[in-house]
Amino acid sequence: MEANENQSIEQTLVAFGERIRFRRKLSAIQQQIDMEAVRQEAELYESDAEQSGQIRSLWRTYRTTLAVAASVAIITTFGSIFLYRSYQQGHRQQEQQYSQLSKEIQAVKSSQKRLINDISGRSRALSANTAQVSGSGFMLTPDGYFVTNNHIVRDADSVYVQSARGEVYKAKIVHTDQIHDLAILQLCDDSAFKSMSPVPYSFDARTSDLGERVFTLGYPREEIVYGEGYLSSGTGYRGDSVAYQVAISVNPGNSGGPLLDEKGNVIGIISGKQTTSEGVSFAVKINYLFEAINGIPADSLKGQPLRLSRKNTLARLPRKQQIKRMQEYVYQVKVFKHK
Amino acid sequence: MKESRRTVLSDDELLKGLSTGSDEALTQLYRRYFPMILHFVTTNSGSEDEAKDIYQEALIVLYEKVRSGSFELHCLLKTYLYSVSRRLWLKQLAYKNRFLVNDIESQATDSAAVGQMSDDLNDHEERDRQFDLMADSLDRLGEPCRTLLEDFYIRHSSMQDITEKFGYTNADNAKTQKYKCLMRLKRLFFAEYKA
Repeated sequence: MEANENQSIEQTLVAFGERIRFRRKLSAIQQQIDMEAVRQEAELYESDAEQSGQIRSLWRTYRTTLAVAASVAIITTFGSIFLYRSYQQGHRQQEQQYSQLSKEIQAVKSSQKRLINDISGRSRALSANTAQVSGSGFMLTPDGYFVTNNHIVRDADSVYVQSARGEVYKAKIVHTDQIHDLAILQLCDDSAFKSMSPVPYSFDARTSDLGERVFTLGYPREEIVYGEGYLSSGTGYRGDSVAYQVAISVNPGNSGGPLLDEKGNVIGIISGKQTTSEGVSFAVKINYLFEAINGIPADSLKGQPLRLSRKNTLARLPRKQQIKRMQEYVYQVKVFKHK
Repeated sequence: MKESRRTVLSDDELLKGLSTGSDEALTQLYRRYFPMILHFVTTNSGSEDEAKDIYQEALIVLYEKVRSGSFELHCLLKTYLYSVSRRLWLKQLAYKNRFLVNDIESQATDSAAVGQMSDDLNDHEERDRQFDLMADSLDRLGEPCRTLLEDFYIRHSSMQDITEKFGYTNADNAKTQKYKCLMRLKRLFFAEYKA
């Protein structure tokens, strides 16, 4: 134990001495070393030992530039998307503000089946093959000339009209006036059609005044619907002088219906409404109906001029009676198209 | 001394030179890896001086290990020195309460190196404690014992030189004196060391 301790203290002392001498050696080396060279080498170390550091320093250097570039790119992208969208939307809005009131019938297929009570073969065929577009129309003359909107019968394969009582007749398009959105049909082509008593309303070519109380009949659904309102402007959609603006509630299916004044004179034909505002509807002025009638080719008329009624038998009747007499002359137009 | 680059020694040659106490090998070793440690410490909130101290400490660890003959290198010498320096520096940072360390050498986490290194460092710490105590004991020993022991064990003076320096009549006398001093040192040392 004693000897052991003696030995260990000696060893420790020797080792201690060795360390001190080694330390001195190191300090001597340190003093001789060219620190500048070491520093430079350390710097070199940085560039090749820190590969990730290189990227990091690149990132540090170009961070702001990158951020600016990225934000510019983002702003440009979304900005142009936004601009394009808003432009498109504005465009579409203009197109959509005016909606033609023809009705896609598919939606009311089932109700139509229930409503038709005439079980003649033709109506059955009709109900089996529901029409694709429907609208309204009314008689011009008792011998079967009929007016509706051009947009309803456009591209039609076949056109049928159905009365309020459910009688269905095939119609032939005699003339279309695309500019004024009018179409003249003829029912007498169909052998089932028999001439009716003279139409009760007359056609008043004079320009009507603002505030004139007006009413219409049409088929926004399978049954005839009455609507009333007043003449709110002498021009139509976006100042269109062909039409009146009417404050009346109309719906898809009302297109082609007659617009009558209090006395029962037809002053226009419902043609569309502005979708962006409520109660703004448009009706083609009756003058353009006359123009359209004049434009019918003579051979289509088979030498018999189309004479419009000038005698108004509704004038003194109360509104309910007017409607009752009128509704026989207002038809639903059903159009079949080739898809 | 010029920076000797005449022959670039390999790790093994460096270690051999270190164990035989070759100045040439030590200088080359010192010069070769100092930049790495300098960079490591200075990029981890240390000064150049601190880097020097850490590096020298690491070299001492290596040197004493090599001298004891128990040194086995399981990785590159560079990695070993880096890991040791890193540990030492982390410890110092812990005292300073700063823990941010960016590694510049991925091998620092090499498990074999880490295992060996922590053993080495434990030994080193133990020795540090011993040496601190030794320095303390020598201080308390008083003259002329202290100088006598230092001359003999640290400066490796011969018994003859010591006899002359201290004016002893003969070498045997000096030896007896040295033995007495050593015994006193032993008492001082172990009184503290055991406690």
